[in-house]
Amino acid sequence: MDTLILVIIGIVAGPVLGGLVAGLDRRVTAWFQSRQGPPVTQPFFDVAKLLGKERTVVNQWQILCAWVYLIGAATSVALLFAQADLLLIFFVQAVGAVFLVMGALAVKSPYSQVGAQRELLQMLAYEPVLVLVFVGFYLVTGSFSLEALWAQETPLLAKMPLLYLALGFALTIKLRKSPFDFSTSHHGHQELVKGVLTEYSGPYLGLVEIAHWYETILVLGLCAMFWHTNVAIMAVLVILTYLVEILVDNTMARMTWRWMLKRVWLLGMGLSIVNLIWLYAR
Amino acid sequence: MSNLLLLLILLPVAAALVCYFVRSSAVRSMTVVATGVVLALAALGLLAQGTFEPIMVGSFLGIGSDFLISVLDFALLGVIYYYGFKHKSLLIQGFTLAQAVLLVWFEVFSLKHAAVPALAGDQLTLVMVLVISIIGSLICVFAIPYMKKHEGHQHLEKSRQPRFFFFLMIFLGAMNGLVLSNNILWMYFFFEATTLCSFMLIGHDATEIATRNAVRALWMNALGGLAFVVGMMLIHFETGLIDISAILAGGPQGVVMVTGVGFLCLAGFTKAAQVPFQSWLLGAMVAPTPVSALLHSSTMVKAGVFVILRFAPAFAGTFLSTGVAVCGAFTFVACAALGVGQSNGKKILAYSTVSNLGLIICCAGINTPLALTAALMLILFHAVSKSLLFLCVGTIEQNIGSRDIEDMRGLYSRMPRTALITIIGILTMMLPPFGVLLGKWMAIEASADANIFVVVMLAMGSAMMVVYLARWAGSMMGTREEGTLSESQPLLTSVPLLTLCLGAVVLSAASPWIYNSLLAPWLGSTPFTVGFGSLESAHGTFVVVPLFLVLGLGLLYAVRAASGYRKSRFTPPYMGGANSSVSGNYVGPMNGEVEFSAGNLYLDELFAESKLTPAFNALAVALIILMLGGAL
Repeated sequence: MDTLILVIIGIVAGPVLGGLVAGLDRRVTAWFQSRQGPPVTQPFFDVAKLLGKERTVVNQWQILCAWVYLIGAATSVALLFAQADLLLIFFVQAVGAVFLVMGALAVKSPYSQVGAQRELLQMLAYEPVLVLVFVGFYLVTGSFSLEALWAQETPLLAKMPLLYLALGFALTIKLRKSPFDFSTSHHGHQELVKGVLTEYSGPYLGLVEIAHWYETILVLGLCAMFWHTNVAIMAVLVILTYLVEILVDNTMARMTWRWMLKRVWLLGMGLSIVNLIWLYAR
Repeated sequence: MSNLLLLLILLPVAAALVCYFVRSSAVRSMTVVATGVVLALAALGLLAQGTFEPIMVGSFLGIGSDFLISVLDFALLGVIYYYGFKHKSLLIQGFTLAQAVLLVWFEVFSLKHAAVPALAGDQLTLVMVLVISIIGSLICVFAIPYMKKHEGHQHLEKSRQPRFFFFLMIFLGAMNGLVLSNNILWMYFFFEATTLCSFMLIGHDATEIATRNAVRALWMNALGGLAFVVGMMLIHFETGLIDISAILAGGPQGVVMVTGVGFLCLAGFTKAAQVPFQSWLLGAMVAPTPVSALLHSSTMVKAGVFVILRFAPAFAGTFLSTGVAVCGAFTFVACAALGVGQSNGKKILAYSTVSNLGLIICCAGINTPLALTAALMLILFHAVSKSLLFLCVGTIEQNIGSRDIEDMRGLYSRMPRTALITIIGILTMMLPPFGVLLGKWMAIEASADANIFVVVMLAMGSAMMVVYLARWAGSMMGTREEGTLSESQPLLTSVPLLTLCLGAVVLSAASPWIYNSLLAPWLGSTPFTVGFGSLESAHGTFVVVPLFLVLGLGLLYAVRAASGYRKSRFTPPYMGGANSSVSGNYVGPMNGEVEFSAGNLYLDELFAESKLTPAFNALAVALIILMLGGAL
């Protein structure tokens, strides 16, 4: 019963929090750039407007894929709040991500095609890192289920500092932040328009946006799990992490997929492996 | 009971003879369909009777069955040697001669010819019999219209289909024999029989390239046969046993015996086309598609995996076990990487097959109840999904004349049914809540107990697999113009496709119960408990049925939303300029129309086959030496 309540909280609060994060992100970014920025609630107005628009599509696959993306992302957040198996959460998240890409591949648009290919490369970069992070969870708590975490007395960050840094790579890619925002980004693209999102429009773009909020909450939720013993410190950790993300976003240029694969595989995987060796050695 | 077993092994042989000698296509079709139905029923009958203890097989016409098998062994080696001679392959001749010499020595001098129960069946056997008899039969049925069309393209004077179905049927019998064997000599015989069948079927079209690839398959598998003989002899040298159930009951016993099992694993590697032996399976893709599906995805390559899994208890807890896990994981990641660089649909499937077999072998090496359960799950679900995909590619190829995934772009507009089935097939290969992913989930959770090399390789490999499967599925979706003709498939094509497609989905949903009734009793200790349609273990929980309900209802809703698409306004894609009247084209320079074209990123600089293959082969050889040497 408790689980059910938590799941409902997750499904309802997910997009609300995600939207607020997006709004705050825009405010802080504006502040970095000496601008005023839109109100914090602006993302909600944007999505509401998108949802009210005329339904235009290139073909029906886009409708299907946008919906499944949303459903996959929402289910993964629901599983997170149900404290389910971490790998399962990850695989369910991949359902959404794969459908987003497939929808973009279904249309004859060069921008969305190239964007989809790049999105796949981004998945290729972050997926192994996430799996290793979860293996780290297992080695510390003795279970892949998030539930087992609460039995731990010390925060995970103490045992998995490098894995947290590696998770940062995954977070940056998942949030579509520079330097890894080459499949699509929050701004119009120089060379790819909106990349993988180019052909999603109107209400379907709205769905994609909400799904993205869910994904944001999923990854930030994972970050929060690194300090489960104290809610205040957990909040500080997540806020700090996000501020660093914004800082990185604003100070880095957009790079190429080659650069990303090398960095994430060498550095991200390297950090994870070193940390895992520590954990195996215990 | 024993009648059922003989039926499973000998009926295909009888059917093969009918196919070969009665040169009527109607009789052949009926024989194949009838055999398929009987085999499937027999497999289900065997399942209903459950596992059975090792049993003796009597004699035929006064000749002891063991003696008969020995005679057939040498006959088979003779045939293989003949083909080695005919194709001037010293490797084949050498490996076969060595096998023959060792076998003579073994049978005449060292073996005490005591009666050994020839056949046995545990859960592993039952699962394999189901896969072989049901999926194998479906593929044979699919082959009937396929081969008709296939020969239509070839303009032969005399149909070669009798020969084709002869070997296809023999193969089913040999596979059933292999998995039912309890006498290691029987297992060896059937192992060799599958080698010969695959050689014949790969070379079926008798083109130059087909012959060349068939010869390569033969020498690699002959090497496997040699490893099998050596392994068998070493095990017998130490334990004095050829009774497999007795060998397994004893567990690992001393250096020589474990080394022997190591050689059996090497034999399994060649048959399962693990790196560095993957080239024979890739070459085998020149064969007609049913061959690829039958031999090279669902059954024959599973023979290699089966041998390793069968002997897993005999190397539990040894260094060999770790070695097997590392080798398997290496093949998993190496072939996933090679798959990323491919645009040939059949090659992608081949690499993905080898890759998944590597994962299964890795699980056998990890050798915990959780890992072994994962291996069995993967065998079952991979066989269904992969054979479906091979048959889909075959159907597509016969219609569009290409097996390149770039040519399958927007296939939905031309072949909606096949495209949809293919897309579903691909999704069942890589996404939850389907069975293959369930197996992969178990494998990764089990690998966390093993060692860090295995964990890292599994993490990398599973990410790469998603890349090449997702882009293939996505690019097949496309716009279907109103008023285009619907697609028609012959009955014998659509029945196997639909059955497999439905099977992949329904069996996945039923996986908790399949686990409970079929797999759980296998190991004595059960890693999972089933509750609320979920598989729960100490490592974690996979909520199978709830996930099916949530994602399934979600998908239904999405499909409903998408089927209301006529209410939406259709727009051509954004082209950054003036769109022409054809969707996807735009008006370019000089008012000329620029046609849409797209290509996948194959990342040649990182994933080029020609660059990676030598490096991977060298590494794999090193790992295999490490594995075998470590057993000493």
